[in-house]
Amino acid sequence: MKKIFLSSIAASLLLMSCKTDFDNDTQDVVVTSGDANFSKYIALGNSLTSGYRDNALYIDGQNESYPNMMATQMKLAGGGEFVQPLMADNNGGLVLGTTVIQGTKLFIESFANGSPVLKNVATAPTTNVATKLTGTINNMGVPGAKSFHLVAPGYGNIAGIQPGTANPYYVRFATSNTSTVAADAAAQKPTFFSLWIGNNDVLSYATNGGTNSTTVGNVTTYSTATVQTGTDVTTYRSNDISSPTLVAGAIKGVLDGLKAAGSTQGVIANIPYVTSIPFFTTVPYNPLTPAALGANITALNTSLYGPLKQALTAFGAGSRINLLSSTSANPVLIRDTSLSNLSVQLTAALTPSLGAATAAAFGQIYGQARQATAEDYILLTASSVIATVNPAAPAAINVNGVSFPLADQNVLTKTEAANVKTAVDAYNLQIANLATAYGLAFVNANAKMTELNSMSGIQFNGVKYTAKFVTGGTFSLDGVHLTGRGYALIANEFLKAINSKYRSTLPMVNPNSYTGVKFP
Amino acid sequence: MTMALTAGVMAYAGGFRVSLQGVKQLAMAHTSAHAEDASVAFFNPAGISFIPSKLSVVAGGFGVSNQITFQNTSTLQQTETDNPLGTPIYAAVAYKVLDKLSVGFSFSTPFGSTIEWPTGWEGAEMVERLELKSYFFQPMLSVKLAPWASFGASYIYAKGKVDWTKRVTQLGGSLNLLDDEATGHGFGFGFYFQPDSQWDVSVAYRSPVDMKAENGKATFNVSQALFPNIGLAATGGVDTFKATLPLVDEITLGATYKVTPKWLLSADFNYHGWERYNKLTLDFANAPVGNQVSDPTVLVAPKNFKNAKTFRLGTQYMINDMIAARAGWYYDESPYSDENFIPETPSFDNYVVTAGVGLKFNKLGVDLSGAYAMPQSRKVSNAYNSFYGQAKAKVFYFGLGLSYNAF
Repeated sequence: MKKIFLSSIAASLLLMSCKTDFDNDTQDVVVTSGDANFSKYIALGNSLTSGYRDNALYIDGQNESYPNMMATQMKLAGGGEFVQPLMADNNGGLVLGTTVIQGTKLFIESFANGSPVLKNVATAPTTNVATKLTGTINNMGVPGAKSFHLVAPGYGNIAGIQPGTANPYYVRFATSNTSTVAADAAAQKPTFFSLWIGNNDVLSYATNGGTNSTTVGNVTTYSTATVQTGTDVTTYRSNDISSPTLVAGAIKGVLDGLKAAGSTQGVIANIPYVTSIPFFTTVPYNPLTPAALGANITALNTSLYGPLKQALTAFGAGSRINLLSSTSANPVLIRDTSLSNLSVQLTAALTPSLGAATAAAFGQIYGQARQATAEDYILLTASSVIATVNPAAPAAINVNGVSFPLADQNVLTKTEAANVKTAVDAYNLQIANLATAYGLAFVNANAKMTELNSMSGIQFNGVKYTAKFVTGGTFSLDGVHLTGRGYALIANEFLKAINSKYRSTLPMVNPNSYTGVKFP
Repeated sequence: MTMALTAGVMAYAGGFRVSLQGVKQLAMAHTSAHAEDASVAFFNPAGISFIPSKLSVVAGGFGVSNQITFQNTSTLQQTETDNPLGTPIYAAVAYKVLDKLSVGFSFSTPFGSTIEWPTGWEGAEMVERLELKSYFFQPMLSVKLAPWASFGASYIYAKGKVDWTKRVTQLGGSLNLLDDEATGHGFGFGFYFQPDSQWDVSVAYRSPVDMKAENGKATFNVSQALFPNIGLAATGGVDTFKATLPLVDEITLGATYKVTPKWLLSADFNYHGWERYNKLTLDFANAPVGNQVSDPTVLVAPKNFKNAKTFRLGTQYMINDMIAARAGWYYDESPYSDENFIPETPSFDNYVVTAGVGLKFNKLGVDLSGAYAMPQSRKVSNAYNSFYGQAKAKVFYFGLGLSYNAF
């Protein structure tokens, strides 16, 4: 009986013990490239592709660019070296001759009332645009490039930097003064490429509140930027929204150039709704709390908001302004150039009480003023403007956003935001179609960013990432570009799309192991 | 500012219950119906009535070697723990005051362990290092109801320590939670029967003990610039926290049958009330690092443990009057599903083989035992932490125990 007992134990042990180990040990997994050939990977795109962050391009950031992360994984499956046009230092910024043409990166100097105080690193940039990089350049991401810039000859001509027809980042590695980014890429005959372009075709419109600026001497004036429908780029100003036809044509041009060089394997990503990034979501539309306004509420209502509301109501525009509340947060006052201009009417209405001169000034200032709503986006850069004194305004009404409307360039209004969304939707439709037509892997970067911006964010091994400024972990200090961790989330989306399309088995990267925002 | 703090404690199998309270018992799969000496006290207070001597004293200790391996099948990263040797110990004394009345005292460390993952490993946000200790002090009384039956009861006073370090990735640093003053109370009772010379039957219940940390210390090792943001400017990044960790209840049914005077067989069934550990709540005094809308300083992490069973089979053969040979086998169920796997308390369905020898030198007994565990590798798919992969473990135990049946 003892023997039976023991042998049954032994038998059960044999049955059970075989499951103590992993079925597939990850250390024995062989990473495969599937149908793809990763031996020469070239990345095309803009700042996001270059590894730009904290409002600058610098070495540590470049090392954590999503293409560099992908290339590291590709090396496990036949991928080759991945050369990036590394900057000369870790502070960022560019010099052309003796002139600094790009500033250094931002850093958090301290926190004040819970908000980071951002400063530029106080060092002179050491990356000289004139220092040419030659040989293989795998990461051809060019900060600031719009879609059509990739096919624009002369975009790498150093002489074009000052007139604004060339890009200093491309100048560093352009093969000639007449070359294009796309042709330089094709000439390297990549076996695999990634392309993520088009963000800037709408982003600069958004980050400038739908305005273009002209600086003459020290005076900058702003004008409403255009939603372009034509494809003649010579009529485009820098912050106009590119026409979807132009964007699609430019991307097609890049793809055709690569195809002609025999490069047909790649991955292409669509464009996120730019309004989901911290640059637009950090400053609330209603930062004017009763506590912040204090005793001024009554005075403002009596002498400004009340009379304005009364006058505007008379012209059928009473909804533009409501009296300030002493119990809930109040919206900032903004200038919305899409409103019909009631300057003349306001001047006339206010003249009896204020006198002609003051009434004229009021009419001019409040003719297109209204309070912001939840559908407007106050730009991150406006946080240093709101509630400060505007020296150009009359003394009694000179507090920005409180008594003096925030200028157009500080706000992406509801109408302007709608322009942005319409354009992004149109671009994305075209990009998805091109991905299909050219048989490329497709990354829905827009969906990923939307997920990141949701309340629950994106979690990875217990770390919760959101699109919140500084604390969300994914966006760098400029509120537009990502951190290493944010870029890693993007890299994984690219890797998934590649694996799915080309039946490769590239492993994912671990976002937690890259750098986030650096605290002082 | 929120961050995903998560919670738990540690063990090798079966939550953080460490079933190592008798060296002789371990040799026979840690079965309970053995009343030869005072080591029965922890298993069943009623058992002390059947100890053949008037005064019995026991003490013993174990070495627990364990290593957990986690692999992430999406990044192919693999990580191994570097756990120190665990050393559960116990001691007990039992004394027959009257023929029908026995008193006893048991000291044991029935819950705890230390897990140490590499600094900055991929699950570091959940745990880098977690040390959990508990000390049970159990005075007890047992009354003989009949020559063949007894009833015993004990009071449990427990002291504990938790020392838990984890990353706070979003703050660019780490957090240490430390409390060595947690206490708890509980009780145990049981019946023990010797209906004839061949049978021992043990029925016992031990209550849950809620270990309450009232004034734990939470140290945020993060940039000083962030202290104001987490409400800790005045204290230099140090906060206090409150938490309760349940050491769960256990029902034990055991029987021993003497097939011959030299050869006995034992079987046990344990039922552990792990459902009590369905969540862990950390209530910080100031730091808004929680996840509750109503109070951002309160962090509630789901644990979703479920009640678990253990089956044990053991045997002993007296080779001669001096030497006993022992062996056993048991199966210990993991108290949670793959969806609730947490790296701070990695648990596995566990098959264990045990063996040992007992040596008798008159009144003194010396016992040696060892056990080899075969934890079953498992999937990890914890959506709450977005923690996915596979885990496996290597575990073995050894123990040395002494017993002295004085008179």
